[in-house]
Amino acid sequence: MDLSVILWFVSIADIVIGLSLGSRLFLIAVGLSLIFGVLGVLNFAHGAFYMIGAYVALAVTNHLIDNFWLAVVAGALAVGVVGVLIEVGTIRPLYERAEGELDQLIVTFGFVLVIHEVVRFVWGSQPYSMDAPASLAFSVSIAGSTFSAYRLFVIGAAFVVMAGLWLFVTKTYFGALVRGTSSDREMASMLGVDVPRLYTAVFFLGSFLAGLGGALSAPLQSTSPALGDQVIIDAFIIVVIGGLGSMFGAFVGAMLVGLMQAIGPQFIAAGHIAIPFVAMVIVLLFRPEGLFGGIGE
Amino acid sequence: MSTGEEGIADRIGAFGHEAVRNGWTTERFALLGLLGLVLVAFGPTFQVYLFTEFMIIALFALAFNLLYGYTGLLSFGHAMFFAGGSYGMAMVLRDLTPHVADVVGSGIAPLVTFGLGAVAGVLLVLLIAIPVGWLSVRLEEIYFALITLAFGMLVFSVIIQNPGGLTNGTDGIIVTLGITEIAGIEFRLGDRQTYYFLTAAVVLPSVYAIWRVVTSPFGTVCKAIRESPDRAAALGVDVTYHRWMTFVVSAAFVGVAGVLMAGLANVASPYHAHWTTSAIPVVATVIGGATFFAGPIVGAFVFLYVRWGISRFPALEAHWELFFGLMLIGVVLYFKQGAAGGLLMLRGWLLDVRGAYDRGGTDAAVAYARESASARLGRTGGPSETEGGERE
Repeated sequence: MDLSVILWFVSIADIVIGLSLGSRLFLIAVGLSLIFGVLGVLNFAHGAFYMIGAYVALAVTNHLIDNFWLAVVAGALAVGVVGVLIEVGTIRPLYERAEGELDQLIVTFGFVLVIHEVVRFVWGSQPYSMDAPASLAFSVSIAGSTFSAYRLFVIGAAFVVMAGLWLFVTKTYFGALVRGTSSDREMASMLGVDVPRLYTAVFFLGSFLAGLGGALSAPLQSTSPALGDQVIIDAFIIVVIGGLGSMFGAFVGAMLVGLMQAIGPQFIAAGHIAIPFVAMVIVLLFRPEGLFGGIGE
Repeated sequence: MSTGEEGIADRIGAFGHEAVRNGWTTERFALLGLLGLVLVAFGPTFQVYLFTEFMIIALFALAFNLLYGYTGLLSFGHAMFFAGGSYGMAMVLRDLTPHVADVVGSGIAPLVTFGLGAVAGVLLVLLIAIPVGWLSVRLEEIYFALITLAFGMLVFSVIIQNPGGLTNGTDGIIVTLGITEIAGIEFRLGDRQTYYFLTAAVVLPSVYAIWRVVTSPFGTVCKAIRESPDRAAALGVDVTYHRWMTFVVSAAFVGVAGVLMAGLANVASPYHAHWTTSAIPVVATVIGGATFFAGPIVGAFVFLYVRWGISRFPALEAHWELFFGLMLIGVVLYFKQGAAGGLLMLRGWLLDVRGAYDRGGTDAAVAYARESASARLGRTGGPSETEGGERE
């Protein structure tokens, strides 16, 4: 199929919308994938983390200080701290356990229920909306369609985060420790890496990214207690398509799923739900390790 | 795992020995249980409803545990089979009731339609489970959990889309069970008490059937696969095929539970297919104890009655999921045997107290109870402190 045929079905607007959906999904999926790649833990509560990020950012702008950027940092940091508490308190005891992977999945699922209820208790069930920062509250016109500048900013942010993570993992000393521990935990430990501390640091980073994603997405979506459930399923699909543990895979997977969600409904009803699922099933069956494998790729 | 089961088997053996010596034969136990079941039917209407729901969820969790506890595969998509049963039943009741009445007469038509609906529900579930299972069992552990989750949500989104007007979208299909008349006696199938007996008449044989599956050579192979798929394969077991068959059997029984749920809730709702419904047997089984046959039953009991207990406090009612989240975390971290394991320990302890009573009367029994209780408390206090110490 040549390009013009594709463009006959798909407008530029759909592609931008798809990339912006993909960008916010990337920020949650990359943390999920990072944590799985290094710790071997599939964090069911990662969607709930994303949701906390959005709520904390909302609370900061509404009650503390009306500065969007500080609110985003506060949201990301708060989620990072929550992640560290959960990892140290409840996931760390399970590393040594035989068949610990399913136990970790069940424990983090327990936190989905807990966080969901705590959020409902604190903020209620009604949806909230948040304003984009004033500096980005204008529109941009591309190929005849108008987009809010903030939407384009979030797409840019996803690319920046991807580039930053790639540099961090491949070029820094800490990144080398992360790669080494992810490929052989015992060897890294024998070579003097403080593995438990590294695990906690990686869990912090992954949680921080989820919180960042949640806070940055708050102006693009309504924030309600159901938010975490929606995004965790999408994030699971993404990391399976991209490859559990691969950051680059999370990026490609997120953008693909974002585009499928934006374009899918034009081909079949509910295509935004069905097409990503079908893609995930196909990947799981024919390439269970995902399109990309390994943490450094 | 195996040593734990032996210890428990010994305890059950000791308990059974005591019971038989004192005239408490298995038959008497069974009769007592049946009497209890009949008595529940004459309780307040809401209690009858709650116990009916308990039986359905117990069957749901028990069937789920065939795959999780016995074969080692954690499914996060069993709601698709629960909904398959509900929708099979609901669609037959909606579309075939007049035709059935033409054939068998209006008297027993509702009952016949219910039976047809049940068969249709289970067949629909098999239709989904055979291909889905064939694809899913190729994967293990977390990947299996993810692919079942994906299939489950696919079924959910299909139901929401209302294909060909079959599923009625987000509203679901209303289920009306109608009035049956046999030999001049009319009874409403949807009556809480009638439906309670109907549920018991389906659930009890189903539980027995699952028990037979578990204790059969088939079940032994399941356990062998759970302990070590490689060794099972080395012994000549076709691991993938066996997992597939277990998947299908598990799904069929979940379908039966779904059929019963449609009649109880009077609706086949898309919520039955949502992944939060898939979580119910996971929660019930983990809390109850996945390594015991009765674990999911105990867990379903805890699930429904704790939820009911919480609902008595209006301030907490809306947040009952919080308690299950905390219970789930606590059980996995500190008490992997679950509530069923706890009950067996309590049973063993009561027998020890009884033994002390036989030897030295009331004083000895009280002394033993006090000693062992303080020893137990000291012991549980101890390890958690040292664990905290190691963590530092």
